[in-house]
Amino acid sequence: MKQLLQATIAIVIACALLFLAASQLQVKGGKGGKDTLTVFNWGEYIDPDLIKEFEKETGIHVIYETFDSNEAMLTKIQQGGSAYDVAAPSEYTVEMMKEKDLLIPLDHSKIPNMKNIDPYFLNLAFDPDNEYSLPYFWGTVGIVYNPTMIGDDLTFESWEDLWDPSLKGKVFLVDGAREVMGMGLNSIGQSLNTKDDQILRTATDKLITLAPNVKAIIGDEITPLMINNEASVALTWSGQAADMMFENEDLTYAVPEEGSNLWFDNFVIPKTSKNIDGAHAFINFMLDAEVNAQNTDYVGYSTPNLAAMELMDPEVVEDERYYPDEETREHLEVYENLGLEWLGKYNELFLEFKMSMN
Amino acid sequence: MEKLSPISKIYLVLVFVILYAPIFYLIFYSFNSAGNMNDFESFTWEHYAAVFGDSRLIVILINTILVALLSGLLATIIGTFGAIGIVSVKNAKMRSVLLSLNNVLIVSPDVIIGASFLILFTFIGVKLGFASVLVSHIAFSVPIVVLMVLPKLLEMNTSLIDAARDLGATKRDVLMRVILPYIAPGIFAGFFMALTYSLDDFAVTFFVTGNGFSTLSVEIYSMARTGITLTINAISGLIFVITVLVVVGYYFVNNRSKQAKVGR
Repeated sequence: MKQLLQATIAIVIACALLFLAASQLQVKGGKGGKDTLTVFNWGEYIDPDLIKEFEKETGIHVIYETFDSNEAMLTKIQQGGSAYDVAAPSEYTVEMMKEKDLLIPLDHSKIPNMKNIDPYFLNLAFDPDNEYSLPYFWGTVGIVYNPTMIGDDLTFESWEDLWDPSLKGKVFLVDGAREVMGMGLNSIGQSLNTKDDQILRTATDKLITLAPNVKAIIGDEITPLMINNEASVALTWSGQAADMMFENEDLTYAVPEEGSNLWFDNFVIPKTSKNIDGAHAFINFMLDAEVNAQNTDYVGYSTPNLAAMELMDPEVVEDERYYPDEETREHLEVYENLGLEWLGKYNELFLEFKMSMN
Repeated sequence: MEKLSPISKIYLVLVFVILYAPIFYLIFYSFNSAGNMNDFESFTWEHYAAVFGDSRLIVILINTILVALLSGLLATIIGTFGAIGIVSVKNAKMRSVLLSLNNVLIVSPDVIIGASFLILFTFIGVKLGFASVLVSHIAFSVPIVVLMVLPKLLEMNTSLIDAARDLGATKRDVLMRVILPYIAPGIFAGFFMALTYSLDDFAVTFFVTGNGFSTLSVEIYSMARTGITLTINAISGLIFVITVLVVVGYYFVNNRSKQAKVGR
């Protein structure tokens, strides 16, 4: 009995000490501001120094939380158990959140730094007039490859290069129905938002002929494989490609000319927000030219912020792999919300393609 | 004890190597200055410095341990009395129903438990955060504690209780001086099981974290999306060391109490 009591007391004391330590650390971080702001963002998607700078500048204490998929974020916001003030969903999720009435319209007068954003990225179909969202980072879907392993013949200016017989069993695809089906559609010169059974069928058949070249359909594991020269060609997002190229200088990235996907992650203010002014201030802060340049440098994705691009290393900004030229841009398409029925069809055809691999 | 044959020895060593190799591999590279897990460049503390320099990560680490200790403690208390309650049910049918209900909770998938907690908490308006994580961790730990304590209770000779009663012990005395000391090893085992369950639970915690409160498993999961950095290795190394310390501590406490018993 004595032993049980001693153990209990020891645990309680340990808990008290840990609790003290944690609250001490949190107070230190918060600088005593009464205002708090909860930011919900993708993992590793902001320079932590900037959060501290924002706290110092405004006196608002930032609680920073991360998610790993649009779906997980949406579920949490929809359940409403937590008061998020700023979130960063991708474009098709912004559309879904709009439909579900989960967002507060942005007050543009409180975000003067909006003027820094390239007009090309504003007023897009998924959110006309940017009523609810402002772009944070953007990128493309393309092919990352290793010329030292596959030779210089293939440049992936066309999707067709993926079908090259020399790539037998070498191609990795990212495990996403929209990405892979989109690639199939683009390769036959169609829109990746097609709602036409006939065209979808043709694209799937075309994809099935790619099967001998496909080594695997996987997720983030592609990154280490490419870095360690264990894989030579992969269909992936530009941001992920940038990470790989940073680690392995042999790699390069291409967006085929027939067209590809243009994606955005955007700032929105969910209805659960309890500090709407703070949320506007945070978005405005992140769009500031200097802040945005520093953040872009840290994260490594492409920024839509023109003013920030002027402050950045010209070599990066002029790199067409990250910032494609006008001509390629014209062929880029943003995913539209297809609706449940068509999304189901895309998923089913993607599954059919996956099964054809055996 | 019979001596182990060479084959058994080799087998044993092999099993331990397989169990521990990945952990040591991970920890080994946490000292790599190259920043990746390909080849070892040179020794560095920088990844540990990165962990300690990030106060958010430290708070999360502390939170994780705090939740594990508290939920372990409370689940042990609830579970121990639960086990005593189940044993004291006279009706055999009723008792087996209670036991099955307990076991159903152990075998239910974490995702389902997590999702139901999320729905429950938002339905009754509990804010997601420390409290919701603690409550759900207690909830999935209680059945485990019950299962660990139960065998001890069943192997206990009831004449011990009768004897205590005959000697004039009150109900409280019987509980405090006879039952609890007898089942103490089961209680400790239950506590440590609850502790480890809470430390590594991802599925349930993922659903019920919120408002700035997060635990390591959830945090590492979202960090890993952009590729495993060696900071994760460093945290894993720290956790491993803490766990080893706890186990060694438990071993000494256990040993001392055994010696004390023998000495008496």
